[in-house]
Amino acid sequence: MFQAAEAMRSLAEMADALVDDYDVVDLLTGLADRCVNVLGVAAAGVMLVSPGGSLGLVASSSETMRLLELFELQAQEGPCLDAFRTGERVEHQDLEAESSRWPSFSAAALKEGFQSVSALPLRFRDVTLGALNLFSVTPAPMAEGDVIVARAFADLATLSIVQHRASAGAQRVNEQLSAALTSRVVIEQAKGVVAERAGVDLAEAFSRLRAYTRKSNLRLTDVAEAAVAGTLDLDPLAWAHGVRW
Amino acid sequence: MSGDIPRGSLSSTDDVSQLIEELQYTLGEGPCVDAYRQDTVVAEPDLAEPVARRWPAFTPPALQAGARAVFGFPLRVGTVRLGALNLYRDRPGLLNREQHADALVVADVAARWVLDAQAGAPSGVVAKELEAGADFHFGVHNAAGMVSVQEGISVAEALIRLRAFAFGNDRLLDDVADDIVAGRVRLP
Repeated sequence: MFQAAEAMRSLAEMADALVDDYDVVDLLTGLADRCVNVLGVAAAGVMLVSPGGSLGLVASSSETMRLLELFELQAQEGPCLDAFRTGERVEHQDLEAESSRWPSFSAAALKEGFQSVSALPLRFRDVTLGALNLFSVTPAPMAEGDVIVARAFADLATLSIVQHRASAGAQRVNEQLSAALTSRVVIEQAKGVVAERAGVDLAEAFSRLRAYTRKSNLRLTDVAEAAVAGTLDLDPLAWAHGVRW
Repeated sequence: MSGDIPRGSLSSTDDVSQLIEELQYTLGEGPCVDAYRQDTVVAEPDLAEPVARRWPAFTPPALQAGARAVFGFPLRVGTVRLGALNLYRDRPGLLNREQHADALVVADVAARWVLDAQAGAPSGVVAKELEAGADFHFGVHNAAGMVSVQEGISVAEALIRLRAFAFGNDRLLDDVADDIVAGRVRLP
């Protein structure tokens, strides 16, 4: 159950971020975090469709491998795929009671302690670009107020992709989606680089990359690209006592 | 492509497209060169009345050969940039939405085949990885990052070495990546 004031502040902060110069993956990660805080869900993530037609994860509220794998599964089956295909909100209140809808996904989600799940389509004009996925540890339907706020978050996620400065030259939404997903891949490569250099796990590597962007005032994707290209001084990330985000 | 310089063409469908490739290779300018350098799709719907004056040496011979509209699509796998896919048409006009989407998919597949070819793996073996969603198995990219530091090589080369290792040991790339990330395996 959300607090109206909290929700309004969170949505206003997102809108502020959108009119500023932002990094798509960074902003969507923040959006996923806010969904967790405001809607009281356990985890959230944003999936986008690639030019090839498959769904890929762009941002998540947590970097634990288990959760990331749960999103990867949804390229084949699950609420995100259904929301993307139908363009409608998808909800499953009780994965334990009814798992025949998505057998593999339900089993994996239940194993992680999630009991209910919903996905909101990211719609832009007459096209669905992907989905916003929410996981909860209790078997309960989304309250009406929550649905309204969640849809606002979904719309903001969509806007963050289609009106990004760097894709101003892109002629097709396809290219904007491709750019966002490519950014995510670069970040995954950078996570590996930092994890190996600093001797930390991938989740911690991601935290350090994000913390570094705050301190250096650089964009997350640029930092990731530099880490991958070998042009970033990785020592600050190697010894940083990561600030938790 | 290598650095900023075209290194040669992998395949062409007919004489005109072969000429277009060779022109760009010789002159170092053209839609593919731009597409690669700028890492963006480049479209010139009418070489006879171009959107911008950009290829003074390439344009006249390309027109003479019969190319009227030309397009360049960058070939890349994640952050690894390999080159560009060249398309041409003998009459003016942009690609429609479907053609554009198709070209993106073809560029995607072509890029991965190039990487696999470099890894020495036959296309049959890695066919599974060309399935939808394969690019988003993050584990492979995490592992490539780690291997690049372990071996002191670029991430692009790390990706190739991972594929070669998987093929050489008859294992799925995803499984090898999992082992690398967990620290159970290091490349020899």
